[in-house]
Amino acid sequence: MLRFIIRRIIVIVPMLFIVISLTWALVRLAPGTFYSGEKKLAPGVEKNLREKYGLDQPWYVQYGKVLRNIARFDFGNSLKYEGQSVNQILLRGLPVSAALGLSAYLLALLVGLTTGTLSALKQNSWIDYASMSLSMLGISVPNFILGPLLVLLFSLTLFWFPPALWDGFPSRSLVLPAITLSAIYIAYIARLTRSGMLEVMRSDYIRTARAKGLSETQVVIRHALRGGLLPVVSFSGPALAFLITGTVVVEKVFALPGLGNYFINACFNRDEPLIIGIVAFISIAVLVFNLLVDIAYGFIDPRIRYT
Amino acid sequence: MSYSSSRFAPYSIVLLACLTAAGCSASASNNGFFGKTDPPRQNVLRYVSGSEPESIDPQIPNGQNEARICLALYEGLAEYDPKTSQPIPALAEHWDVNKDWSEVTFYLRHDGRFSNGDPITARDFAYTIRRGLTPALAASYASMAYPIKYAQAFNEGGVFVFDPGSKTYLLERDFEKPSEAATGSNSSAPSTESQPLSSQPIESVADEYPANAQLGADSAFHHLMHAPVRVVLPAKEKDRNAALEANPRLKAATAGKQFIPVTAGDVGVEAVDDYTLRLVLVKPAPYFISMMPHQFFRALHQKTIEKFGSAWTDAANIVTSGPFTLESWKHYDRLIARRDPKYWDAANVRLDKIVFLMLADNTTMLNLYKAGDLEATYNHTVPAAWLDTIGSLKDFMDAPEAAIDFYNFNTTTGPTKDVRVRKALNMSIDKKALADWRHVQPLTAMTPLGIFPGYPQPKGDPFDPDRAKRLLAEAGYTDATGNFDAKKLAATDIEVLTNPDGSNISYAEFMQAQWKQNLGVTISIRVMEAKTFFKAQKSLEYKGVSRTGWGADYMDPYTFLSLFYTASGNNGTGWWDPKYVELLDKANRTIDRQQRYALLAQAEQILLDAQPVLPIVIGTTRLLKKPYVKGMYPNPATLIPWKWVYIERDPAKWDYGMPDMK
Repeated sequence: MLRFIIRRIIVIVPMLFIVISLTWALVRLAPGTFYSGEKKLAPGVEKNLREKYGLDQPWYVQYGKVLRNIARFDFGNSLKYEGQSVNQILLRGLPVSAALGLSAYLLALLVGLTTGTLSALKQNSWIDYASMSLSMLGISVPNFILGPLLVLLFSLTLFWFPPALWDGFPSRSLVLPAITLSAIYIAYIARLTRSGMLEVMRSDYIRTARAKGLSETQVVIRHALRGGLLPVVSFSGPALAFLITGTVVVEKVFALPGLGNYFINACFNRDEPLIIGIVAFISIAVLVFNLLVDIAYGFIDPRIRYT
Repeated sequence: MSYSSSRFAPYSIVLLACLTAAGCSASASNNGFFGKTDPPRQNVLRYVSGSEPESIDPQIPNGQNEARICLALYEGLAEYDPKTSQPIPALAEHWDVNKDWSEVTFYLRHDGRFSNGDPITARDFAYTIRRGLTPALAASYASMAYPIKYAQAFNEGGVFVFDPGSKTYLLERDFEKPSEAATGSNSSAPSTESQPLSSQPIESVADEYPANAQLGADSAFHHLMHAPVRVVLPAKEKDRNAALEANPRLKAATAGKQFIPVTAGDVGVEAVDDYTLRLVLVKPAPYFISMMPHQFFRALHQKTIEKFGSAWTDAANIVTSGPFTLESWKHYDRLIARRDPKYWDAANVRLDKIVFLMLADNTTMLNLYKAGDLEATYNHTVPAAWLDTIGSLKDFMDAPEAAIDFYNFNTTTGPTKDVRVRKALNMSIDKKALADWRHVQPLTAMTPLGIFPGYPQPKGDPFDPDRAKRLLAEAGYTDATGNFDAKKLAATDIEVLTNPDGSNISYAEFMQAQWKQNLGVTISIRVMEAKTFFKAQKSLEYKGVSRTGWGADYMDPYTFLSLFYTASGNNGTGWWDPKYVELLDKANRTIDRQQRYALLAQAEQILLDAQPVLPIVIGTTRLLKKPYVKGMYPNPATLIPWKWVYIERDPAKWDYGMPDMK
């Protein structure tokens, strides 16, 4: 088990190196710079800017600086936002994204698992059909449509929730974004739970459990759920990583100051240190959560052993 | 290439549909306003400033999103008139300009105060200008100060050439190329020896004006500044050698000379006494005063900046000079400016706070406005597609802006190298139809109509497809019988290059349809992500036509006409004419306003005759303002001087429609 974890952690380093280098190269290949705009700067001003941010140095010097910074977990200063370090920006955006992502995640788990399990237990009943149709809708309707629809209904017609902006956690401003964000995850988790449960309910060890004389509730909670949830676990680990590291569209629609919003603007601004910082952060999060999922497998499914 | 490169096109369309529906239902029941009209309980104005500011140091950023905030926090020598955007006295009570526009003197008010209570003096403005020009600061708008003597030299990191033997500096007029000397210089015998003042370098800024000293109107520095202009060369050896190669006479003269770096103290800025600021200009610039309200020139507190470095704008450290001061700034969320009781005119500032929300998405903004969470939006926040719904409401503000939309022609290659093709492409667009469709004013010239009173704007060519066809026939696009043949103008030779933002693609499609209808010519549209597009346009890497626009940096026609002063820079056409430049220079040497305007108009006519551009429309403000917000006007610069804005609680005094702009 320990060897497995160590091996996986060691793999993270070269993966990160590749991701960073590719990102850096792509940012460099994209035409335009952080200061280029509709109005062209005077040549003297442009020269001053390039010197100020070290863009006049050869590419390998700049690339070396990027790698050195990352090795020390210091991503340098933003090019666009004067005097703000990338680390500061990450620390500022992360709580917002994490609060939103976690809320959406918990909502998705709660609603998704419940409806999925119910559907499996009452297969081919009206509950099953209704929840599976709804989840199909959840998968099909993209959040950039769902969000504005919710705003239209709950903010501009009923005036229950604010249409945008962030008032901290917890607050009413969290409700609409969290619902919007969770819809697709609710749908996936419900469907995964249903199919997983259906498969498990037909397996031999469930028949054994029933034969032992356990009540149906105990069969479902103690035996079936553990097996039936495996696909959900492998789906929801990376999903959590993506959810809490920022969701571009929802944060943009609701104007939330999260990492996703920072990221999209950093790309449009060609703010290289910020882009690399956020990409590195998301990569680490995804790799770590994948590892956690693999470890969690061992606990949930007794058939899996790590060597 | 494809429209899917547009940022959030799919969702904006859906939003549009949803909100148009919502807009219709609400506006019908709400006395003709868009959403709620309940004034906030406190004297707090909630406004949007746009995307996250790069900085609230007024000299660092160059966007309107920062300018909106900086106008509240800092005050300059002059302020924008809330209705016309023309410069009006602020920290300077009045100013004088000498006869040949080589010198401007500002007389400051004696009660100006920073937010920490320190008096605002001429010395602070001298510091502000010098600091903005410091190369290490790399201020984007440093070029605004280039009319000041040696400002450009200092900002670009230049050196003077000093002759240790004769203790003099080499002078520019001795090394001018003959053609320029003939037009520019009217002085007699050039001699380096007869200019003793020019050989006295200023040791440091502190020497120029000792603390508490009452200097007379004249000073050694003053003399020095009016001495002939010195030669300035790049400080970097590589660049300098390249410059010298181009001028052999100068190269020979620099042998054995010293290169002395241009310092902040050499810039033509002088605090004559505590409340008199004198600026010496390198060449006449009658538009200079209209630059003074720009955020670059707003008063900064030297001690704070020197103490805290780039952290000086943190709420705990900042010292401001405007009617409001910084209370808090939650990044990517909101910035709160609070009324500054130390401000000299605090008694007349009626808002207690301004909340600037950082968001740039029009739909989100309009949602907030409708729900009553915003008092007003900034310019261009109502998309053209919504105008049918919102355009007739009483809180919709639409007025001409000092900004124009136009297309560049690539005058260096392809069919558009021929002026007849350029003229034909311009004449075959029915701009009136375009303007009616987009609810804007059509544009045939290079300056916006009705923004500069008294400016005799020349008219460009009218809509005339028949003449356009004749011109194209003359240019050689003919069939066997000598008539115009659209097929000869190959579709691959001309395309419209544009970025997808705003309504650019709709405009391009309109133009495309017009050329097809009126000339039978097929011209394709090429869409490029913004930053990629800017680069392609400025380096003339486009076929035929590229979309562009220009917003005034200051309220003078010159801000538009100077685009074509050089062949490089913001001129994305490749067109350049010395006659045009000569007329602009002549106009700027002319003190009488009407005569100057006449000369500028002549220059504009030359530009229109050469048609390196296809003028399209004038910008319009297109914003929303709640009826209870008073003192806020859709002015041509669309920048709001905040001190005059207030919240009116008596509905009888509200604005039911556009406020009076006179």
